[in-house]
Amino acid sequence: MTLPIAVDAMGGDFAPEEIVAGAKRAVDELGLKVILVGVPELLGDPLGLEVVPCSEVIAMDEDPGASVRRKKDSSLVRAAELVRDQKASAMVSAGNTGATMAAALLRMGRLPGVQRPCIATPIPNPGRTPMVLVDAGANAECTPEMLAQFASMASTYVGALYHVESPTVGLLSIGEESGKGTPLVKAAHQLLSELGSINFVGNVEGRDLVPSPVDVVVTDGFTGNVALKTLEGALKFVFTTVLSVIGTDDATKAAGDVLLEYLLPVARQMRPESQGGALLLGVRGICVISHGTSNSTAIKNAIGVAAEADQARLVEKLGMAVRPDQVA
Amino acid sequence: MGDAPLDRAAISTLVRDQLAEILELSPGDIAEDVSFSELGADSLALIELVEALEESLSTSAVGFHIDDEDLEDLTSVRDAVNYVAEKLQVV
Repeated sequence: MTLPIAVDAMGGDFAPEEIVAGAKRAVDELGLKVILVGVPELLGDPLGLEVVPCSEVIAMDEDPGASVRRKKDSSLVRAAELVRDQKASAMVSAGNTGATMAAALLRMGRLPGVQRPCIATPIPNPGRTPMVLVDAGANAECTPEMLAQFASMASTYVGALYHVESPTVGLLSIGEESGKGTPLVKAAHQLLSELGSINFVGNVEGRDLVPSPVDVVVTDGFTGNVALKTLEGALKFVFTTVLSVIGTDDATKAAGDVLLEYLLPVARQMRPESQGGALLLGVRGICVISHGTSNSTAIKNAIGVAAEADQARLVEKLGMAVRPDQVA
Repeated sequence: MGDAPLDRAAISTLVRDQLAEILELSPGDIAEDVSFSELGADSLALIELVEALEESLSTSAVGFHIDDEDLEDLTSVRDAVNYVAEKLQVV
């Protein structure tokens, strides 16, 4: 029997309404089983979905570790426990990212051999399967060994969910030459070159994020988060600018009528909500971290990602990737 | 922890073993006088340690709990060992 996906109904800027709506859409449009975790008095109409009640909510600005310890009956902690206790196949949250990670780590536990879990964010790559950026913000400071492990886990993710054989891996740096970059990047380059288990193709640069010539881009969490937010801001600026120009007079309106037919599908594909969310790699369970501004479409897609990861037995495969002699 | 009475040496072993598992290190590489930051243990790793210690000590010391307010004072392995020993009134 398929286990449901546990959705933190209280996390996110538009919770609970958009979260509940997204969960309902996942049931109706994707045929998935979903349970909500939330405070009944604050949840509103659960739209017919089963609710696992809790009494606390971790706010977006609370300290991750301290809040998970202090609020043991929060929606985030309860959702992670459902996965730990095999009452849910995965958890999804648009809430406090740090607390989501902490809840997953402290309740599900880390996979044997994993030094640090990392956040793997899929970035639309027109004409190809998404490029996965890792680490997108979990670990501000990293060692070369951590980057190598992130690359290994992300490669496994791409292979399992996007069915890419031998995913190509690039190391984010300030130049293509192996001697370029910080001491961390240079040491990671050496290590990645020696890893026989991944298809490391060398350094990539910031301009290689979209479109990307590789399937995985690996970097430390600080750089990854800056790169991700820069990309989001730049894409938003471009599309907003184009839309503001179209319709200013008859000529631009006519041009817009032609161009939008081609531009809108690209714009929709590039919006973060189309990908749903990022996967936390390295814990003993599936945890999808959705953007704090997630609407119902993003939540629906995040739940879809969780289901795909479960069906692909991603956690088991990650366990083999980091420690072949053990399984998750 | 078993039924053996706890002494400081046992607590030290427990703390180092738990930390080693969290940080993917060998317990032998963790000396008492080393700081958590030197070991690469961030705040989340410290909380992992705290929760692991509470669980490990829950049978031999019912209700054992590390107060969150005290966490910021624990900056080294020795701090953690001394804290637990004091809490358990172990000499």
